[in-house]
Amino acid sequence: MRKKIKALVCLFVPLLLIFALNTKFGNLPPLLKFLNPFTGFWQNAEHTIINTSSQLVLKGTFKNVEVAFDDRMIPHIFAENDHDVYFAQGYVTAMHRLWQMDFQTRYAAGRLSEVVGKKALELDRYQRRMGMVYGAENSLQGMMADPKSREMINAYTDGINSYIHSLSKSQYPVEYKLLDFSPEDWTPLKCALLLKQMSAVLAMGSTEFYMTNILNKFGPEITANLFPDYPFREDPIIPAGTKWNFKPLPVPLPPPALTEPRSADIKTKTLEDGIGSNNWAISGAKTASGYPILANDPHLNLTLPSIWYQIQLHAPGLNAYGVSLPGAPGIIIGFNDHVAWGVTNVAADILDYYQISFKDQSHKEYKYDGKWKKTTTRMETIKIRGAADETDTVVYTHHGPVVYFRKPEHLSMADNIPTGNALRWIAHERSNELMTFYGLNRAKNYSDYRRALTHYTAPAQNFVFASADNDIAITANGKFPLKWKDQGKFILDGSASSNDWQGWIPADQNPTVKNPPRNFVSSANQSSTDQTYPYYINWEFSSYERGKRINDKLGTMKNATVDTIRVMQSDSYSILAQNILPTLLAKIDSVNLNATQKEAYNITRQWDKFFSAKTIAGSVFDLWTSRLFYAIWNDEFTIEGVPMRYPSKDRTVQLILNEQGSRWFDNINTPVKENLNDLVMQSFQFACDSLERKYGPIGKRWGWANVKKSHVPHLANIPGFGSETLLIGGAKSAINALSEANGPSWRMVVELGKTPSGHGVYPGGQSGNPGSPFYDNMISTWANGKLFDLYLMSAPNDKKAKVISRLIITK
Amino acid sequence: MVFLIILIASFLLQLVLPWWLIVIIAFITCGLIGKTGKVSFWQPFLAIALLWTAMALFKSLPNQNLLASRVASMLGLQLWWWILVISSVLGAVVAGISGYFGYQFRKAVIVVKKSNA
Repeated sequence: MRKKIKALVCLFVPLLLIFALNTKFGNLPPLLKFLNPFTGFWQNAEHTIINTSSQLVLKGTFKNVEVAFDDRMIPHIFAENDHDVYFAQGYVTAMHRLWQMDFQTRYAAGRLSEVVGKKALELDRYQRRMGMVYGAENSLQGMMADPKSREMINAYTDGINSYIHSLSKSQYPVEYKLLDFSPEDWTPLKCALLLKQMSAVLAMGSTEFYMTNILNKFGPEITANLFPDYPFREDPIIPAGTKWNFKPLPVPLPPPALTEPRSADIKTKTLEDGIGSNNWAISGAKTASGYPILANDPHLNLTLPSIWYQIQLHAPGLNAYGVSLPGAPGIIIGFNDHVAWGVTNVAADILDYYQISFKDQSHKEYKYDGKWKKTTTRMETIKIRGAADETDTVVYTHHGPVVYFRKPEHLSMADNIPTGNALRWIAHERSNELMTFYGLNRAKNYSDYRRALTHYTAPAQNFVFASADNDIAITANGKFPLKWKDQGKFILDGSASSNDWQGWIPADQNPTVKNPPRNFVSSANQSSTDQTYPYYINWEFSSYERGKRINDKLGTMKNATVDTIRVMQSDSYSILAQNILPTLLAKIDSVNLNATQKEAYNITRQWDKFFSAKTIAGSVFDLWTSRLFYAIWNDEFTIEGVPMRYPSKDRTVQLILNEQGSRWFDNINTPVKENLNDLVMQSFQFACDSLERKYGPIGKRWGWANVKKSHVPHLANIPGFGSETLLIGGAKSAINALSEANGPSWRMVVELGKTPSGHGVYPGGQSGNPGSPFYDNMISTWANGKLFDLYLMSAPNDKKAKVISRLIITK
Repeated sequence: MVFLIILIASFLLQLVLPWWLIVIIAFITCGLIGKTGKVSFWQPFLAIALLWTAMALFKSLPNQNLLASRVASMLGLQLWWWILVISSVLGAVVAGISGYFGYQFRKAVIVVKKSNA
């Protein structure tokens, strides 16, 4: 008997070992599944030397396709028809970025719990309840309705799947092995989800919940005073004074009453400066060559694998080079033989909350124009790794989904969402953004550009344009609801049809300008227009500082070259410092400073106002002003249970410069009455003391780059897979808008001419594999403010191109 | 002999099958021809240590250990070859234990048969 037990134990122990080392426990990968050199991570270690004559042959296209990879692993695709070019784009993108594409679209679809288990449940619920999948399904209908975009998306999907099906387990990207899951087939819906995620990143911000609480607390007068509808200082995208040569539609009139707001138990957050980007185009009159130059640097959260994927697409009627989003066919920002284009975000008010009066707790009916209107429901089933599925029922009104009846406790993204309100969001509309890029990729001139823009819905972008015909233009473009002024600045009453969106601003009446007399166009997320534009787009945009600096520089520029523009993209001069530093310094009483503070004061007085890597004054100024703004507003605008936001930076600057006797400078939590001088002094001392505490005696370690700690983290924040800390300059309100992990995600400069000359770089590499030499090989060039040449190959065997490998796809 | 059989069989079969094949191979090999407990632990141990180290280096050296360094730093290790040591030793220990238990299994089964007769 004992022998039998022994025999069983002898069998059991090895089986237990297999189980223990092949299973994922918590955050730990399945150990030997991950570490063994035959199928584990070691298999993802790529050769650093590329075999220059390597060729791969596969099937799936109508005709033969040739892909040449250049020395930075950028694919140049040569196909004979549209289907084949997008099939190949899907294939090569998946080859380099499969895990990223999969992970991002699972994130967008609220499916992370499938991979990481219960800890992502609230995040998944949030994505579903915001209507991400609902919006993607609507968008997909729009994309599938047009034969061109349908072909694009289907071919792209087939290309991706052709790659996925070619993989063995040992070839799965390393993150699959680490998180222990498998790739699944791509679908057209995933392309739509990816584009929705861009809308979520760029156009999901909303402050109406906070604004309504502020209105309630302070009344309409103070609210209007502190949150004005147009900034104190502005330099709008469409130059002030540009004439609008169209007859505007009548704008709906605002109904009289405002709604009663509700509150929730969360804290006021400091509003981060919006995600920014720059673009501009200068006409031939300002360049050395006589041809226009176009520049673009979209600022996003920086990640590895990179947000963007460089590619050249060549087919009959198409020869474009630029960056694509892994997961969407076509090129988003780039150039072709004739034109160049780029984008920055328009902070349009295309997201509103409507307060809903339900008949009862069943939420089956709600009040609308004096009658009861039926809701619909959408079931969202969330699969959870290691637990049973969760089904979430989302109630939809005609406005859109009711995001929360009860909010999750630990999800900061949900802070600004009023409970019991329905979400009206442009990203839920049926749309077909792909056709815009289809058109731009093939555009030959200004009218092609204008036609391409009419297809675009969201997220609204400032599309900058330049052509070899010497036209330059910029358009704040998207589908904008026809609103009365300030509609949606506060929560709207969802029970009256007069509060609904009443139609759309006609696409050809979107703010646009062509060849303005100043010979350049530019945008940096500031107000789209001056106050003469007949429609309402939003009451608040990003502050004007980057736009102002760009316009100041371009205004005086002559004989510009690609290099002048390249240097300008890395400019770190602070307009904010130019505007307020003299006033602030004058309020420092140096007698009352300790030795460190005194030295910091002297250094800051001599500051050239550039946020360069080594500047100490930049560190002091940044911490000083953010503490000052906090000190001005926090006492009044942080109330337990009533989430609010602070007034804008622009309004605060106005207060500091022109309203120095303002009541807002007093800290209402202290018995004494403070004035601006007190706050300036206190915050200066606070800044110096905390720098000293953190970085020791004033010196090298106080340098801006060391304080800012810019780096490029891994998309899933896997330690070791991100970049080192980069000791470089730049700051949020400067042209080089680099903060800790947000900044220029792509820098491009294109000079048009007989043949275009493109230059660009992003902080990463073409490959998404941390085990590839092409994973982060462009970071140092990016960090040094340099650009690579973007060579538009004329044929697959173009002798001037540095081709290192080839891929042949046959029918 | 045990060493060679495990080395060759593990190499060939792992090209197509999952890593835990080494458990089965070590168990069966030692269960059939393992002479002593010591041999049944150390020969599978050395076979897998050698095989896995060689395979890992075969993939990692041409990569200039880029990925191994990243994975090491992910796990809080300073040097890339620590991850190699951990991989190989862990694999080797698993193979060794499996071989040892394979040998013990045979002993148990044979004795059981004897006592039945």
